[in-house]
Amino acid sequence: MRYLLIDHILYWEPDSTIVGVKNVAMSEDFFEFHFPRFPVMPGVMMLEALAQLTGWLHAISSNFREWFLMDRIIKCSFYGFVLPGDQLELKLTVLETPLEGRRVYSGMGTVRGKKKVMAEFQGRVLPLDELEDPEEQRHNFNVLAREIRF
Amino acid sequence: MRFLFYDAITTIEKARSIEGVKTFSLSEEFLRNHYSRSACVPGVIFVEAMAQLLGWLITYSSDFKMSAALILLEGVAVPSHMRPGFRAEIRGEIVSSSRRDTMGKGEIWVDGERIAWIDRILYGHFESIAPGELKRMYEYYSGKKTVHED
Repeated sequence: MRYLLIDHILYWEPDSTIVGVKNVAMSEDFFEFHFPRFPVMPGVMMLEALAQLTGWLHAISSNFREWFLMDRIIKCSFYGFVLPGDQLELKLTVLETPLEGRRVYSGMGTVRGKKKVMAEFQGRVLPLDELEDPEEQRHNFNVLAREIRF
Repeated sequence: MRFLFYDAITTIEKARSIEGVKTFSLSEEFLRNHYSRSACVPGVIFVEAMAQLLGWLITYSSDFKMSAALILLEGVAVPSHMRPGFRAEIRGEIVSSSRRDTMGKGEIWVDGERIAWIDRILYGHFESIAPGELKRMYEYYSGKKTVHED
Protein backbone atom coordinates (compact mmCIF):
# COMPACT_ATOMS: atom_id res chain seq x y z
CA MET A 1 0.00 0.00 0.00
CA ARG A 2 1.16 3.49 -0.80
CA TYR A 3 0.18 5.62 2.17
CA LEU A 4 -0.84 8.56 -0.01
CA LEU A 5 -4.32 9.86 0.74
CA ILE A 6 -4.49 12.83 -1.65
CA ASP A 7 -4.89 12.24 -5.39
CA HIS A 8 -5.36 15.76 -6.69
CA ILE A 9 -4.87 19.29 -5.35
CA LEU A 10 -7.43 21.63 -6.87
CA TYR A 11 -6.75 24.99 -5.26
CA TRP A 12 -4.63 26.67 -2.59
CA GLU A 13 -3.85 30.01 -1.05
CA PRO A 14 -0.56 30.02 0.87
CA ASP A 15 -0.95 30.07 4.68
CA SER A 16 -4.72 30.10 4.33
CA THR A 17 -6.57 27.31 2.56
CA ILE A 18 -6.20 24.27 0.30
CA VAL A 19 -8.65 21.99 -1.49
CA GLY A 20 -7.85 18.42 -2.53
CA VAL A 21 -9.49 15.21 -3.65
CA LYS A 22 -9.24 11.60 -2.52
CA ASN A 23 -10.69 9.10 -4.97
CA VAL A 24 -11.96 6.08 -3.10
CA ALA A 25 -11.39 2.92 -5.16
CA MET A 26 -12.65 -0.58 -4.47
CA SER A 27 -9.01 -1.68 -4.79
CA GLU A 28 -8.01 0.15 -1.57
CA ASP A 29 -6.31 -2.20 0.86
CA PHE A 30 -8.35 -0.99 3.81
CA PHE A 31 -11.61 -2.31 2.36
CA GLU A 32 -10.58 -5.92 2.92
CA PHE A 33 -11.06 -5.56 6.67
CA HIS A 34 -13.18 -2.44 6.88
CA PHE A 35 -15.49 -4.19 6.74
CA PRO A 36 -15.68 -7.70 5.32
CA ARG A 37 -18.67 -7.77 2.93
CA PHE A 38 -19.48 -4.12 3.75
CA PRO A 39 -16.70 -1.84 2.44
CA VAL A 40 -16.71 1.67 3.95
CA MET A 41 -13.79 4.09 4.09
CA PRO A 42 -12.36 4.19 7.64
CA GLY A 43 -13.00 7.52 9.34
CA VAL A 44 -9.37 7.81 10.40
CA MET A 45 -8.30 7.58 6.76
CA MET A 46 -10.36 10.71 6.09
CA LEU A 47 -8.51 12.33 8.98
CA GLU A 48 -5.21 11.19 7.51
CA ALA A 49 -6.20 12.70 4.16
CA LEU A 50 -6.84 16.02 5.94
CA ALA A 51 -3.49 15.75 7.76
CA GLN A 52 -1.66 15.08 4.48
CA LEU A 53 -3.44 17.99 2.81
CA THR A 54 -2.24 20.17 5.70
CA GLY A 55 1.29 18.98 5.02
CA TRP A 56 0.95 20.02 1.39
CA LEU A 57 -0.33 23.46 2.39
CA HIS A 58 2.68 23.94 4.66
CA ALA A 59 5.03 22.73 1.95
CA ILE A 60 3.72 25.08 -0.73
CA SER A 61 3.48 28.00 1.74
CA SER A 62 7.12 27.60 2.85
CA ASN A 63 8.73 26.92 -0.52
CA PHE A 64 9.08 23.25 0.53
CA ARG A 65 10.93 23.93 3.77
CA GLU A 66 8.18 22.78 6.20
CA TRP A 67 5.78 19.91 6.78
CA PHE A 68 2.97 19.39 9.29
CA LEU A 69 2.38 16.49 11.69
CA MET A 70 -0.93 16.18 13.54
CA ASP A 71 -0.83 15.45 17.28
CA ARG A 72 -4.21 16.68 18.65
CA ILE A 73 -7.73 16.18 17.37
CA ILE A 74 -9.97 18.64 19.14
CA LYS A 75 -13.14 17.29 17.57
CA CYS A 76 -13.98 15.14 14.57
CA SER A 77 -17.50 14.20 13.44
CA PHE A 78 -18.43 11.67 10.77
CA TYR A 79 -21.66 11.87 8.77
CA GLY A 80 -22.71 8.76 6.88
CA PHE A 81 -20.45 6.41 4.98
CA VAL A 82 -17.89 7.03 2.24
CA LEU A 83 -18.10 4.12 -0.18
CA PRO A 84 -16.03 2.66 -3.02
CA GLY A 85 -16.43 4.84 -6.10
CA ASP A 86 -16.90 8.05 -4.10
CA GLN A 87 -14.79 11.14 -4.65
CA LEU A 88 -14.04 12.79 -1.33
CA GLU A 89 -13.38 16.51 -1.69
CA LEU A 90 -11.44 17.95 1.23
CA LYS A 91 -11.14 21.60 2.17
CA LEU A 92 -8.82 22.89 4.85
CA THR A 93 -8.70 26.32 6.50
CA VAL A 94 -6.17 27.82 8.90
CA LEU A 95 -7.93 28.77 12.15
CA GLU A 96 -5.25 30.42 14.22
CA THR A 97 -1.56 30.26 15.11
CA PRO A 98 -1.44 30.39 18.91
CA LEU A 99 2.11 29.18 19.54
CA GLU A 100 5.40 29.19 17.70
CA GLY A 101 5.70 26.08 15.53
CA ARG A 102 2.08 24.99 16.07
CA ARG A 103 -1.01 25.40 13.88
CA VAL A 104 -4.76 24.84 14.24
CA TYR A 105 -6.88 23.78 11.28
CA SER A 106 -10.48 23.19 10.39
CA GLY A 107 -11.19 20.63 7.70
CA MET A 108 -14.29 19.33 5.95
CA GLY A 109 -14.83 16.45 3.56
CA THR A 110 -17.79 16.16 1.20
CA VAL A 111 -19.01 13.65 -1.39
CA ARG A 112 -21.20 15.13 -4.14
CA GLY A 113 -21.81 18.15 -1.88
CA LYS A 114 -22.85 16.06 1.14
CA LYS A 115 -20.82 16.53 4.31
CA LYS A 116 -19.00 13.37 5.42
CA VAL A 117 -16.39 14.59 7.90
CA MET A 118 -15.68 17.75 9.92
CA ALA A 119 -12.54 18.06 12.01
CA GLU A 120 -10.61 20.55 14.08
CA PHE A 121 -7.06 19.50 14.79
CA GLN A 122 -3.64 20.85 15.60
CA GLY A 123 -0.05 19.81 15.37
CA ARG A 124 3.50 20.91 14.94
CA VAL A 125 5.61 22.01 12.04
CA LEU A 126 8.86 20.26 11.18
CA PRO A 127 11.58 20.98 8.67
CA LEU A 128 10.57 19.04 5.57
CA ASP A 129 14.12 17.88 4.86
CA GLU A 130 14.04 15.82 8.09
CA LEU A 131 11.22 13.73 6.61
CA GLU A 132 11.52 13.80 2.82
CA ASP A 133 13.69 15.10 0.01
CA PRO A 134 12.23 18.61 -0.51
CA GLU A 135 12.84 18.59 -4.27
CA GLU A 136 11.09 15.22 -4.58
CA GLN A 137 8.14 16.64 -2.61
CA ARG A 138 8.05 19.69 -4.87
CA HIS A 139 7.83 17.37 -7.86
CA ASN A 140 5.08 15.34 -6.15
CA PHE A 141 3.12 18.50 -5.40
CA ASN A 142 3.36 19.52 -9.05
CA VAL A 143 2.03 16.10 -10.04
CA LEU A 144 -0.90 16.42 -7.60
CA ALA A 145 -1.64 19.99 -8.71
CA ARG A 146 -1.37 19.07 -12.41
CA GLU A 147 1.42 21.61 -12.82
CA ILE A 148 3.64 19.26 -14.72
CA ARG A 149 3.58 18.26 -18.36
CA PHE A 150 3.44 14.52 -18.94
CA MET B 1 -1.87 -4.04 4.02
CA ARG B 2 -4.27 -5.68 6.43
CA PHE B 3 -6.18 -2.87 8.08
CA LEU B 4 -5.90 -4.39 11.57
CA PHE B 5 -4.19 -2.44 14.31
CA TYR B 6 -4.07 -4.90 17.15
CA ASP B 7 -2.25 -8.24 17.32
CA ALA B 8 -4.23 -9.80 20.13
CA ILE B 9 -6.97 -9.04 22.62
CA THR B 10 -5.64 -9.88 26.07
CA THR B 11 -8.68 -9.21 28.26
CA ILE B 12 -12.30 -8.37 27.59
CA GLU B 13 -15.08 -7.72 30.07
CA LYS B 14 -18.51 -7.55 28.54
CA ALA B 15 -20.03 -4.03 28.42
CA ARG B 16 -17.09 -2.65 30.42
CA SER B 17 -13.53 -2.83 29.10
CA ILE B 18 -11.08 -4.34 26.68
CA GLU B 19 -7.29 -4.56 26.47
CA GLY B 20 -5.07 -5.61 23.62
CA VAL B 21 -1.57 -5.32 22.23
CA LYS B 22 -0.04 -4.14 18.99
CA THR B 23 3.61 -4.30 18.02
CA PHE B 24 4.81 -1.68 15.57
CA SER B 25 7.59 -2.89 13.30
CA LEU B 26 9.63 -1.24 10.60
CA SER B 27 7.97 -3.55 8.07
CA GLU B 28 4.55 -1.86 8.40
CA GLU B 29 3.23 -1.00 4.96
CA PHE B 30 2.22 2.54 5.91
CA LEU B 31 5.83 3.47 6.65
CA ARG B 32 6.69 3.24 2.95
CA ASN B 33 5.56 6.83 2.50
CA HIS B 34 5.63 8.03 6.08
CA TYR B 35 8.40 9.12 5.64
CA SER B 36 11.35 8.24 3.39
CA ARG B 37 13.96 9.98 5.60
CA SER B 38 12.40 9.25 8.99
CA ALA B 39 9.99 6.39 9.70
CA CYS B 40 7.20 7.52 11.99
CA VAL B 41 3.90 5.91 12.86
CA PRO B 42 1.02 8.09 11.61
CA GLY B 43 -0.98 9.54 14.51
CA VAL B 44 -4.28 8.31 13.08
CA ILE B 45 -3.08 4.70 13.34
CA PHE B 46 -3.09 5.03 17.14
CA VAL B 47 -6.64 6.35 16.93
CA GLU B 48 -7.68 3.41 14.72
CA ALA B 49 -6.06 0.91 17.13
CA MET B 50 -8.19 2.22 20.02
CA ALA B 51 -11.28 2.46 17.79
CA GLN B 52 -10.94 -1.13 16.54
CA LEU B 53 -10.69 -2.59 20.03
CA LEU B 54 -13.66 -0.58 21.33
CA GLY B 55 -15.63 -1.60 18.24
CA TRP B 56 -15.01 -5.25 19.10
CA LEU B 57 -16.02 -4.62 22.71
CA ILE B 58 -19.40 -3.26 21.56
CA THR B 59 -19.92 -6.18 19.18
CA TYR B 60 -18.83 -8.75 21.77
CA SER B 61 -21.09 -7.15 24.40
CA SER B 62 -24.12 -7.63 22.12
CA ASP B 63 -23.29 -11.30 21.52
CA PHE B 64 -22.28 -10.32 17.97
CA LYS B 65 -25.78 -9.05 17.13
CA MET B 66 -24.53 -5.46 16.66
CA SER B 67 -21.77 -3.77 14.71
CA ALA B 68 -20.40 -0.34 15.59
CA ALA B 69 -19.55 2.60 13.34
CA LEU B 70 -17.50 5.60 14.41
CA ILE B 71 -19.47 8.86 14.69
CA LEU B 72 -17.43 11.24 16.86
CA LEU B 73 -13.96 11.77 18.34
CA GLU B 74 -13.15 14.41 20.95
CA GLY B 75 -10.08 15.20 23.02
CA VAL B 76 -7.60 13.05 21.12
CA ALA B 77 -3.84 13.15 21.65
CA VAL B 78 -1.33 11.12 19.64
CA PRO B 79 2.45 11.22 19.28
CA SER B 80 3.32 13.07 16.11
CA HIS B 81 6.71 11.51 15.51
CA MET B 82 7.14 8.04 17.01
CA ARG B 83 9.56 5.61 15.41
CA PRO B 84 8.44 1.95 15.06
CA GLY B 85 10.04 -0.76 17.18
CA PHE B 86 7.76 -0.74 20.22
CA ARG B 87 4.93 -2.71 21.76
CA ALA B 88 1.78 -0.81 22.57
CA GLU B 89 -0.81 -1.75 25.18
CA ILE B 90 -4.23 -0.58 24.08
CA ARG B 91 -7.04 -0.07 26.59
CA GLY B 92 -10.66 0.84 26.03
CA GLU B 93 -13.67 1.39 28.29
CA ILE B 94 -17.36 1.84 27.69
CA VAL B 95 -18.53 5.00 29.48
CA SER B 96 -22.23 4.83 28.61
CA SER B 97 -24.45 2.94 26.25
CA SER B 98 -27.99 3.20 24.90
CA ARG B 99 -29.97 1.23 22.34
CA ARG B 100 -28.67 3.50 19.56
CA ASP B 101 -25.09 4.31 20.51
CA THR B 102 -22.12 3.78 22.82
CA MET B 103 -19.70 6.33 24.28
CA GLY B 104 -16.23 5.16 25.23
CA LYS B 105 -12.70 6.26 25.92
CA GLY B 106 -9.32 4.77 25.18
CA GLU B 107 -5.61 5.03 25.82
CA ILE B 108 -2.32 3.53 24.66
CA TRP B 109 0.66 2.82 26.86
CA VAL B 110 4.25 2.11 25.81
CA ASP B 111 6.91 1.16 28.38
CA GLY B 112 4.76 2.45 31.24
CA GLU B 113 4.04 5.79 29.60
CA ARG B 114 0.65 6.88 28.27
CA ILE B 115 1.41 8.03 24.73
CA ALA B 116 -2.08 8.42 23.22
CA TRP B 117 -5.66 8.80 24.37
CA ILE B 118 -9.22 9.54 23.30
CA ASP B 119 -11.39 11.30 25.88
CA ARG B 120 -14.66 10.65 24.02
CA ILE B 121 -15.39 8.25 21.19
CA LEU B 122 -18.95 7.70 20.04
CA TYR B 123 -20.21 4.77 17.96
CA GLY B 124 -23.56 4.23 16.30
CA HIS B 125 -25.04 0.74 16.49
CA PHE B 126 -26.02 -1.30 13.47
CA GLU B 127 -27.73 -4.64 13.35
CA SER B 128 -25.20 -7.30 12.45
CA ILE B 129 -25.74 -8.95 9.07
CA ALA B 130 -24.06 -12.22 10.08
CA PRO B 131 -23.48 -12.71 13.84
CA GLY B 132 -21.95 -16.17 13.32
CA GLU B 133 -19.40 -14.81 10.90
CA LEU B 134 -18.59 -11.88 13.19
CA LYS B 135 -18.01 -14.31 16.05
CA ARG B 136 -15.63 -16.40 13.96
CA MET B 137 -13.77 -13.25 12.89
CA TYR B 138 -13.49 -12.09 16.51
CA GLU B 139 -12.02 -15.43 17.55
CA TYR B 140 -9.53 -15.40 14.69
CA TYR B 141 -8.40 -11.78 15.02
CA SER B 142 -8.41 -11.56 18.81
CA GLY B 143 -6.83 -14.94 19.52
CA LYS B 144 -9.57 -15.55 22.09
CA LYS B 145 -12.42 -18.02 22.24
CA THR B 146 -15.77 -16.47 23.08
CA VAL B 147 -16.94 -17.61 26.47
CA HIS B 148 -19.76 -15.45 27.73
CA GLU B 149 -20.58 -15.00 31.38
CA ASP B 150 -24.30 -15.53 30.75
